Amino acid sequence: MAAIVLSKLNKHYGSLHHAVKDVDLEIADKEFVALVGPSGCGKSTTLRMIAGLEDISGGEIRIGGKVVNNLPPRDRDIAMVFQNYALYQHMSVYDNLAFGLRNKKVPESEIKAGIDRAAEILGLHELLKRKPRQLSGGQQQRVALGRCIVRNPLVFLFDEPLSNLDAKLRAQMRIEIKRLHAQVPTTSVFVTHDQVEAMTLGDRVVVMRDGRIHQVGTPLAVYGKPVNKFVAGFIGAPAMNFLEVTIRKEAGTVVAESPVLKVAVTEPSSVALEAWQGRRVIMGVRPEHLVLGEGLLSRSFAAKVEVVEQLGSEILLESRVGDARVTVARVPPETAIAAGDQVRLSAQPGRLHFFDPESENVIAA
Amino acid sequence: MAMVREPLLFARLPVGGRRLLFGMALFAICFLFAFPVLWLILTSLRPESGVYYVHRGTEFTLASFVEVLQDERLLQAFFNSAMISTLATIFSLLVTVSSGYMLSRFKGPAASTWFGTIYVFRCVPYISWVIPLYFVAQSWGIYDTYIGILLPHIAVHICFFSWLMKGFFDGIDPSMEHAALIDGCTRWGAFIRVALPSAIPAISALAVLCWLFTWNEFLFALILTGNKVPMVTVVMAQFVTEMGLRWNLMAATAVMALVPAFLLALFGQKYVIRGLRI
Repeated sequence: MAAIVLSKLNKHYGSLHHAVKDVDLEIADKEFVALVGPSGCGKSTTLRMIAGLEDISGGEIRIGGKVVNNLPPRDRDIAMVFQNYALYQHMSVYDNLAFGLRNKKVPESEIKAGIDRAAEILGLHELLKRKPRQLSGGQQQRVALGRCIVRNPLVFLFDEPLSNLDAKLRAQMRIEIKRLHAQVPTTSVFVTHDQVEAMTLGDRVVVMRDGRIHQVGTPLAVYGKPVNKFVAGFIGAPAMNFLEVTIRKEAGTVVAESPVLKVAVTEPSSVALEAWQGRRVIMGVRPEHLVLGEGLLSRSFAAKVEVVEQLGSEILLESRVGDARVTVARVPPETAIAAGDQVRLSAQPGRLHFFDPESENVIAA
Repeated sequence: MAMVREPLLFARLPVGGRRLLFGMALFAICFLFAFPVLWLILTSLRPESGVYYVHRGTEFTLASFVEVLQDERLLQAFFNSAMISTLATIFSLLVTVSSGYMLSRFKGPAASTWFGTIYVFRCVPYISWVIPLYFVAQSWGIYDTYIGILLPHIAVHICFFSWLMKGFFDGIDPSMEHAALIDGCTRWGAFIRVALPSAIPAISALAVLCWLFTWNEFLFALILTGNKVPMVTVVMAQFVTEMGLRWNLMAATAVMALVPAFLLALFGQKYVIRGLRI
């Protein structure tokens, strides 16, 4: 059993910089958790505290029920993959893989068996005799993964391992890591600034900003029910559109309106919004939940197309609704449309999010 | 509007002309540096009487080398200089490498105090150390001994080369050591087994620089050594006597002193270049 429990975890750098603030998180045994957030949000620091590479300013870390606050990294039974691979440049791939086991005084025959198994899983057999600098980025990262699995640790930690790879390789390695986790189920913490990686890899996604956890949930929950405007805007690509609207009640229906649009709100959002009548709120709608055309007249509004991005599988539209920019995704690629066109957009029912303009917390979704 | 720049004279020349000009410049620079050495070698091969008349005579002899090689004190000086250079290099590297590593990787009062200390020592003009060192050496009774000349050299190396070493380690990614810490190493283990092997080109470069520094050093050797531990640079200068200047002998000694330094620079060059490039 190797659950990780972070309680009231804090990290200060000097008196000015509070990098990690009261982080509470429970990661179940064999769970894959992705920490995601913009750079400087404290996700890497949190990971490095779990690894023991950073001191803990306050709080507690437990791995497998044992408090590890004061244990050096070598006694925590963890393995880590770094952004720049961090392979030992002066050793062959075989020695890189064997390094951790040799430190544990594992007999050489067992080491060989372990490396064989890891090489099998990751397809490293032809590379074993080479030096790291003779390998491509993708191969180096596979070796780094191999170095983790031969040790058979309690926990895998990933510190932005795919950031240095090109887009195509990144997608491949993502699948490889996912497959690896299925083959060798081990508690894993994966740090990334790329929400696509977080969504695709994580059993659960932890969204962080400014040293705090904003939301923890399954990828679907984080995407579908963001708890605040930050999470809503950070998760999902292209990013969610935000429009300032005022809530009114017209003929028994709750409507969100601004000088340029008027949208009827359905239940259950409308119930929560009753209390906000006459007040301004921020309305969020994802680009993929907007459709071109009238739809239901009560939900549609006018927009002016500014940029048309043809992706082959779909068209992305950048449009303007009053002063606000609104992105529309999933427009059928054959649609005849050009910059400057006037169109009508309508939101799919039940796909509107409303946020308190002050606290930015969600009111209704 | 974009500025259209006239191509410079050099760029307007035909390829052959450019090559010729480049070659001439190269030759001129090489000649500038090589001329004193060539003159030195030439002088060492002249008979004593011909030293002042190089442009006239065509007589060459190895007599100066023979004479110098019979001087027991000079042979001893060669041995001493080689020993002191080697020992100073070894002992100073032991400190320099770890102190450079500390300066590169650790922040905190210990590191910043050390940083400040060697910074101050580095700023003090080298020549102003010599007289105090003489008194210290006298009062400790280590004047004109191996240890008396070795210690100052080690100190100078540490102050000067810790900085270089820090630069080298700054260029080595620390995540490799972090990986080693996770893989079961202690902090020292990560330093010795992972950081050090990666720094070998840099350490080799530093070793060459250290060795050459001590081998060529004159001032400490002049003030801190006497008859018991003669050093090459000092003995060489002692051909200036009341009886006159023995240029041919001095040149012969200098040529001989040049050889080890030259060989070291020649074979160490690729490490120096690779090391300084990190």
